[in-house]
Amino acid sequence: MERLQIDALSFRYPDAERYTIENITLDLCCGEFVTLCGATGSGKTTLLRLLKPQLYVQGERSGSIRCDDRDITAVPPEQIGFVMQDPEHQLVTDKVWHELAFGLENLGVAQQEIARRIAETAAFFGIETWFERRVSELSGGQKQLLNLAAVMVMDPDVLVLDEPTAQLDPIAATSFLEMLRRLNRELSVTVIIAEHRLEELIPMSDRLLVMEDGRLTIDAPPTKAVQLLPADSPLLSYLPAPVRLYHAVHGTGACPMTVREGRDYIRQHRAIPLPIQPSSRSPHPRPALTLKDLCYRYRRDDSDAVHELSLTVYEGEIAAVVGGNGAGKSTALLLCAGLVRPYRGAVKVFDRRVSDYPAEQLYHGTLALLTQDVTSLFLMSSVRDELKGYRDGERMLPFDLSPLYDRHPYDLSGGEQQLVALAKVLASSPRLLLLDEPTKGLDASAKNRLSVLLKKLRNDGVTVVLVTHDVAFAAGCADRTAMLFRGGCVSVAPTREFFSTNSFYTTAAARMARGLLPNAVTVEDIASQLSTEEVRA
Amino acid sequence: MKRYRDYNPIAVAANMLAAALVAMFSMDPVILAVALTGGIIASLTCASMRKRDHLFALGLFVALVVINPIFSHNGATVLFIMNDSPVTLEATLYGVSAAMMLVSVLYWFRAFTAVMTSDRLLYLFSRLSPRVSLVLSMALRTVPMLRERWQKIEQAQRALGLYRDGNLIDRVRGILRIFSILVTWMLENGVITADSMDARCYGTHRRTSYALFEFGCSDAAVLGLSTGLAALTLWGLSGTDFQYYPTVSYTGSAVTIIGYIAYSGLCLLPGIIELWEGIRWNGYRSTR
Repeated sequence: MERLQIDALSFRYPDAERYTIENITLDLCCGEFVTLCGATGSGKTTLLRLLKPQLYVQGERSGSIRCDDRDITAVPPEQIGFVMQDPEHQLVTDKVWHELAFGLENLGVAQQEIARRIAETAAFFGIETWFERRVSELSGGQKQLLNLAAVMVMDPDVLVLDEPTAQLDPIAATSFLEMLRRLNRELSVTVIIAEHRLEELIPMSDRLLVMEDGRLTIDAPPTKAVQLLPADSPLLSYLPAPVRLYHAVHGTGACPMTVREGRDYIRQHRAIPLPIQPSSRSPHPRPALTLKDLCYRYRRDDSDAVHELSLTVYEGEIAAVVGGNGAGKSTALLLCAGLVRPYRGAVKVFDRRVSDYPAEQLYHGTLALLTQDVTSLFLMSSVRDELKGYRDGERMLPFDLSPLYDRHPYDLSGGEQQLVALAKVLASSPRLLLLDEPTKGLDASAKNRLSVLLKKLRNDGVTVVLVTHDVAFAAGCADRTAMLFRGGCVSVAPTREFFSTNSFYTTAAARMARGLLPNAVTVEDIASQLSTEEVRA
Repeated sequence: MKRYRDYNPIAVAANMLAAALVAMFSMDPVILAVALTGGIIASLTCASMRKRDHLFALGLFVALVVINPIFSHNGATVLFIMNDSPVTLEATLYGVSAAMMLVSVLYWFRAFTAVMTSDRLLYLFSRLSPRVSLVLSMALRTVPMLRERWQKIEQAQRALGLYRDGNLIDRVRGILRIFSILVTWMLENGVITADSMDARCYGTHRRTSYALFEFGCSDAAVLGLSTGLAALTLWGLSGTDFQYYPTVSYTGSAVTIIGYIAYSGLCLLPGIIELWEGIRWNGYRSTR
């Protein structure tokens, strides 16, 4: 395949008033790496699915998509690979090797040929060590890598990916994107990817496409595209930290794209460092949650998932718990909520052991847990029915949920699902709210909304504990942050102090400002310093 | 080193099923003793059995031997009278044979399930139909996923205040609720799986079926040997008749001996292969 041409493409779902995609014209060359960004609901997914005729979307279509002067429907299906967001449900079979063979079996390829192509692919992706494993034993990152490999084994020319890293932790997401870069560089596969996580993607893309309300508003190389965005665009919050900084100080000249360039930018533009005072919230003496020497393991022969964990969270604060995969974060949260019992140690909630509470009292008015995948809370076929009996919780949210009432909970975006789930959870008026990975799969605006919401709850007197991989989110909203490693708590400090002392495990902004602007951990921190200095100069 | 379990599943299955099937339909004590010996050897070499498992088999054996003469009073030779009913020699012997049959089949199936992992079973089915094997593979994938999901939903719902009253009705309602959420979740996400299958050209061509297992000369040899020995066994035993009641009677011929030898070969094949490969490996190690 040489080129993919989209000409005046418009698309409307049946019975929809507005066009989901309006008059898009796009020309892609072979071997390009194109990143598509835009807010949730801007039509990214629809556009991508139209590129894959096998995922037929019903609706009214005009314009054309052509591939080397053939209509896209005439292209052999295996030439366009498609990877979706959900790592779990894209897998079809029970074994890794079978998953790799699945596509080729469908094409009716002979056994010998399948063996050769699987071997090649497995070697390229480094899958040999888990080639014979069950897919249920894999981590989320491995599952998504397998999904990519299972598509690549069919040797496509074009790879279309719809938010493939949204459900992954940062480390897994980075290795997934690195693999994508290798596929593009070494095999010259054309890549079209829609993604919210632009930090790593922007430096590796050839072109950045921006979609707003179904239109393609920007189509340019990344360095140029980020400068084309208007200063008040809501899309700015999706961009990498250096670019956000550049926009925040209304920068001129070349825009920094990576942390290294961001550092140079700060070095050039700062005058006298003006240390930001560490935030001085008066520490509340009353503990809301006390963990003492907690030990827990899932099976007798396993090692401890949580090992001698001690941590205190005070009333009226937002505490973030960060740490890598398998550090025991989620398990610690289950222990806090009394859903699993530690084999040693004690959990106290408001000075009373969690095991001493009657279930009725613990889960009504004391603590509430929002699990990682909020769909496990949804029972009804509309949001209205879902929230029946949970109106108290809905009133606690600073957002109006009534526009969502008639939709099915599964049809909502990740951010909207989160809000509905929070309304359900908050209805029991908890004093302690536990959240497990609340930002997973959310776009930047939904994250901002969640941050506003958590701060409002804190001001209403709710203590919040959130477990997250998202260090930027923790830096933006938590009062104190703790880091777990191998089941224990290795450090806990006020958030600003925590992230400015860490050198690897910290926000991109803190990595840019490190040693230059003490105590700056968010883009806003840096921007406030730079702009004041510019005014002074 | 190609161990018994590494042979092509078709060969292994033919060998084991032939051995077990002959044992199941025979009451000849010689055959049963051979089957038991072979079964024990096969499960010792293939399955990781614990002491508890062997004790269970032994207990079952003893129980069967004891129970049959207590309940069955057929037979001409009375050994002694217990509770006004005769305990006969024939019934005891019949009990021994029945116990040997059951325990040997138990051992054979133990070895069979240890060797035939889901991959291998699927391979057998995929020889019959690629479609069936895909459905089975998808089912095997779904079960652990649903189990994990059930637990997650249960936790989320418990933290939401499910089981408010803690009585039986509440518990049943809770389970129904989890079940309902699980079904919705499964159906919603099934759409993703379907899309993923479509995106990877499912249903566009006639499917082939890939397997990790090769069918080489040695596999053909084991398969041929197994079927040959099984046929020889059936031929050899066709003329024999072993009756326990009223008195133990036996009709056989010289051909029967061939049947016994053939069946011994069939049953001991796993052990012979393991032994032979072990010897070869040791020889290879010492000459290096």
